[in-house]
Amino acid sequence: MEPDASSAAAAQNPNPNPSTGPPPISAVIRSSRATTMMELEIELKKASDKLKSWDATSISLSAACDLFMRFVTRTSHLEHEKFDAAKSRLIERGEKFGEISLKARKTIAMLSQDFISDGCTILVHGYSRVVLEVLKLAASNRKLFRVLCTEGRPDRTGLRMSNELAALGIPVKVLIDSAVAYSMDEVDMVFVGADGVVESGGIINMMGTYQIALVAHSMNKPVYVAAESYKFARLYPLDQKDMTPAHRPIDFGVPIPAGVEVETSARDYTPPQYLTLLLTDLGVLTPSVVSDELIQLYL
Amino acid sequence: MPDVQPLVSEFVLKLKRRKVEGSHAVARQTAELLRSVVSQHRMGSTNQAAALADAVRGVGEQLIAANPIELAVGNIVRRVLHIIKEEDISSTAVGIEGLSVTAESDDEYESGNDDHPTLSAAVLAAHARNALRAPSLQTLLEDIPVSTALSRSASSAGDSDGKSGDKSSKSRKLKHDVIAAIGDLIDEIDTCYDQISEQAVEHIHQNEVILTLGRSRTVKEFLYAAKEKKRSFRVFVAEGAPRYKGHVLAKELVEKGVQTTVITDSAVFAMISRVNMVIVGAHAIMANGGVIAPVGMNMVALAAQRHAVPFVVVAGSHKLCPLYPHNPEVLLNELKSPSDLLDFGEFSSCMNFSTQDGTPLLNVVNPTFDYVPPKLVSLFITDTGGHSPSYMYRLIAEYYSADDLVVRRKSTSS
Repeated sequence: MEPDASSAAAAQNPNPNPSTGPPPISAVIRSSRATTMMELEIELKKASDKLKSWDATSISLSAACDLFMRFVTRTSHLEHEKFDAAKSRLIERGEKFGEISLKARKTIAMLSQDFISDGCTILVHGYSRVVLEVLKLAASNRKLFRVLCTEGRPDRTGLRMSNELAALGIPVKVLIDSAVAYSMDEVDMVFVGADGVVESGGIINMMGTYQIALVAHSMNKPVYVAAESYKFARLYPLDQKDMTPAHRPIDFGVPIPAGVEVETSARDYTPPQYLTLLLTDLGVLTPSVVSDELIQLYL
Repeated sequence: MPDVQPLVSEFVLKLKRRKVEGSHAVARQTAELLRSVVSQHRMGSTNQAAALADAVRGVGEQLIAANPIELAVGNIVRRVLHIIKEEDISSTAVGIEGLSVTAESDDEYESGNDDHPTLSAAVLAAHARNALRAPSLQTLLEDIPVSTALSRSASSAGDSDGKSGDKSSKSRKLKHDVIAAIGDLIDEIDTCYDQISEQAVEHIHQNEVILTLGRSRTVKEFLYAAKEKKRSFRVFVAEGAPRYKGHVLAKELVEKGVQTTVITDSAVFAMISRVNMVIVGAHAIMANGGVIAPVGMNMVALAAQRHAVPFVVVAGSHKLCPLYPHNPEVLLNELKSPSDLLDFGEFSSCMNFSTQDGTPLLNVVNPTFDYVPPKLVSLFITDTGGHSPSYMYRLIAEYYSADDLVVRRKSTSS
């Protein structure tokens, strides 16, 4: 194992953006001097572990790394080829990963068009590229709909979402996060993205998703999750605390007295029974399909 | 194909006029029509499978548009498209494996214009099989170059066997295989009742009370089969207004010696506490496990849920629809004539269009179907066995190929 390979992996991860999984990994393959698949595999394993430790809280990063490792270790393609050919194929796949995620968003947007009907009101939570893509396509298909955007405290990602939607000419209304239940009766469906989709079919997403799903469920509104399939992670959280915590500083505007604890967790877990359907690039899935897909891949 | 066009338009007209109704009849006739479309199709020399699929798709579109409520039409069209794809791939896979020995000499000139390393035959065959499957995590990374590699090899395979006689025999074989497979499909549609009712004794136990609504042939056969196996049980039949098919079912059951009680639809909730199991038929099963069923079914399902009575849906696999219900109460429904509900003579004064602003005060709505959401269904019994609602997607992935489900998808991915 060359030390420079794994450090290259870490160095090439310029921003902790979740979907930048394998490109640095393909850099590892390129700079690797391994001569057999086994050697390469070990190097990749180390590099991906390092990459994961770089941002231990990012679920889609580790899910994407696992997916790529799985591809390296078990793909039928590579068995029949010479080492150099296999290596160049791996590099190519790694580099195509960005393309895959872009294509996935397009597919999801297309699949979800049937779900958005004229005159409907959609509640979104936080900023999600996939959800934005979905709504963008719906708007360009001249669908008439209204979006309610939560504020998305603490980092106000919902405001960013509402800015983008308003720029597209979609009627938007911004709510504070605690007004979700108040507004739910005028909502026809809830659209959320996901940081990660876990084995139970539930999702890990920005704080507040769980309570929105609970409110929607109790008022019989469908909750749709738009998520690319590389976010399927081999995790099985049993409750809200059963995850690697990701913390986010919260600005309350006023000083918090010493001795008062602040809950700074940035994510929560939404169990599958509160989700209606998952819109992914593998198609429209019920939550129970997720475990099936993961089992097929990692069995 | 000018020869089948009259057949097609005749069937389209029948569908439009609602002369054929019921999933079984529709499915069977669609399959038969598509079989004759395939057999009349003149096979070209290149890209036969695609041309054949195109012909089927063209006819299928007309049929689906003729009666979009009969989801069985679309199901059968998709099944046939899947069959064509399957047969094509199995025949090319065999062809490639045979070729790989002889194609050694071709390899040099082929790799000349190839940047990719040439794949071996076994790998290609594996991919051909992969292409049939629904997209999955497993193929997410593998997928990208496969289609190009496959089409290249398929075309080169076509080029290299120069003998035209060989080619025509191959095309005839594809057509023959497809026709045979559609024949199997028709058999499957016909025998689904037997397959389903075979499982009856596993589900109906001694001295149980069964409730059903309206009349479904599948339910009837299911109950018959249990009776034939010497089970004694009682059946409550809700009459199924406004068509009152329940009366017919009650008569048929009594003829077979089943203890039967007819109740009104509105008495379902009153009786449900005495019922051990609700067994009903369906018009279609959607991909999320929801059911399109005769009107009144949702009420029965809710009553069953209230009293924790198992709600079992029996349906042949031709009723399995790969679509998701969007606004099913409106989009997947049909409003029938008010004459089922009212006697026009008696109510003619209420329907007077000359009052006020030209709209009568009395309106009649007579929907045909109900949508039962998946969470109300305990079990589906199909010809392949019992399945839970969340498992339906798996059956669908088995019967249909993914790119036929959403037709629009094709234009963007290619």
